[in-house]
Amino acid sequence: MTEAPTDVGLSQELAADLAAASLALARRFAAGATMWCVAPQWEPHAQHVAVEFVHPVIVGKRALPAVALTGRDLVDAARLSVRSGDIVVAIADAADPEVTAITARAPAWGATTVWIGHGPRPPAGAADHVLWLEDADPATPATGKFVLLYHLLWELTHVCFEHPGLLTEDAAECTDEVCVTCSDEGRPAEVLSVTADGTAVVRTANGREEVATLLVGPVAPGELLLVHAGTAITKVDR
Amino acid sequence: MRFVDEFRDPAAARALLATIRRLADESGEHHKFMEVCGGHTHTIYRHGIEHLLPESVELVHGPGCPVCVIPMGRVDDAVWLAEQPDVVFTCFGDMMRVPGSRGSLLDAKARGADVRFVYSPLDALKIAVDNPAKQVVFFAIGFETTAPSTAVTLVRARELGVENFSVFCNHVTIVPPIKAILDSPDLRLSGFLGPGHVSTVVGTRPYQFVPKVYGKPLVVAGFEPLDILASVAMLLTQLREGRCEVENQYSRVVAEEGNPAALSLMGQVFALRPHFEWRGLGFISQSALRLHDDFAAFDAEARFDMPGVRVADPKACQCGEVLKGVLKPWECKVFGTACTPETPIGTCMVSPEGACAAYYNFGRMHRDAAQLVGQPAR
Repeated sequence: MTEAPTDVGLSQELAADLAAASLALARRFAAGATMWCVAPQWEPHAQHVAVEFVHPVIVGKRALPAVALTGRDLVDAARLSVRSGDIVVAIADAADPEVTAITARAPAWGATTVWIGHGPRPPAGAADHVLWLEDADPATPATGKFVLLYHLLWELTHVCFEHPGLLTEDAAECTDEVCVTCSDEGRPAEVLSVTADGTAVVRTANGREEVATLLVGPVAPGELLLVHAGTAITKVDR
Repeated sequence: MRFVDEFRDPAAARALLATIRRLADESGEHHKFMEVCGGHTHTIYRHGIEHLLPESVELVHGPGCPVCVIPMGRVDDAVWLAEQPDVVFTCFGDMMRVPGSRGSLLDAKARGADVRFVYSPLDALKIAVDNPAKQVVFFAIGFETTAPSTAVTLVRARELGVENFSVFCNHVTIVPPIKAILDSPDLRLSGFLGPGHVSTVVGTRPYQFVPKVYGKPLVVAGFEPLDILASVAMLLTQLREGRCEVENQYSRVVAEEGNPAALSLMGQVFALRPHFEWRGLGFISQSALRLHDDFAAFDAEARFDMPGVRVADPKACQCGEVLKGVLKPWECKVFGTACTPETPIGTCMVSPEGACAAYYNFGRMHRDAAQLVGQPAR
């Protein structure tokens, strides 16, 4: 006889992380986000998450736009699909190269990231929300903890929707402005195309812009740069 | 917009805080760490990090906001330049509200001067190319993070042969003020959080004097809340293990040697000034950059007959003490009363990264302190 894994509750810490992630998702959805789901190691997870958010199981709940990205060239698929303000949910181990590449680029694309996995954790700052399980075999279809986790994520996102006051960020928090200039600001940017005279067109959370690349040597499309005052000051090596 | 990210990975943050508490308890001493960079100050306030730390670990705020350290006389010079006939004066947005003795650049704009703010000096150069009949001046400020961008612009201006473009250079360097603070007798620091993006350009070697000469540890830190917590833990670990060195927490972006191409270009375009005035810190030798003689044709200070008057800081303003970390912003006599972000007296209240503005905007102060604010000056 096996013990049903769902008997084991989530730890208090994971519950807090889950609540924070759900609130972030609700806010993004309320602002018009689409959720893009990837699970390179076992694609049905991505499809399951997407269907969960799209399918309004409970009467009166809205369907939330969610799409599973599957197949080969996931980074390219995500680059084409994700718009600024969107959400990327990844279900993968910390070592997954495609998810690592996607979450590293998400700040340049302006996307919020949720990374669900188990085993060794990804490095600090790898995703906006890291939901990590201790469970030895959380990937069991239907009964595993991954499934429990993303059902909770969906349900809690809808709980947040029941409290419209939560859905807009507190005005006091809207101080994203830092000194554009002076400060030690550095914004992540992904190279889209290279022009001959030491400039490149890059993608940032704010859209496309042209930056000087004289100081970082030759760059290629897909490379990540750190941009300060219109000039790339370093390549970002994750 | 996501310049400063949300508090990423709360579980990791809790683990780091537990480490910090344990190390602080074991040490039993009071530790004062200075974050040199304004970007760090912003992250610390925005996320309330100082209230997460144990009482025995105190963060003090350093002179790392280039807007905050610009002396009044230089702002007056900028206003004078902006008001010259046929001049288009360009600057970064935050400089617009910095008060000089005759008002700010924004006031000059209101009086009819053509003042425009730009995101990049390259944008200023574009304005010059598009307006050949005007003299376009760029108000260059910032540490080594921003100076390369000005250097790239000047090289391009020379290649394009743009004759109506010049730079009013106020670039400063990071090491001399750190030295000045370490030499200052009124502050006892246990260590430093070193600047992040400045270090992408200069690398980590220029900080070696901090442990070697002054016996203080320094950790180059990133800008996310987790980076700050990890760096504080690294400083405490060094102290605990009796080590004292330069460590790099922000290695995903900062290389030990920095950006050699940027440093070499800066060497061609700039030269060190013998001394430069810093608001609140006074004159610091070899702490700022002027244009190299090869680029003298683009030097606004040579092109225009600028008054160059030195103006004393307002008496009521205690920005100097705040910049050195001697006073907390709320301890300044005019904080929140005469000096607010809407009507700043001192520069620290102007920039969102200034220590005073950050305190004011995020309400980060102890309850006793909050009661003091608004009471008449002693």
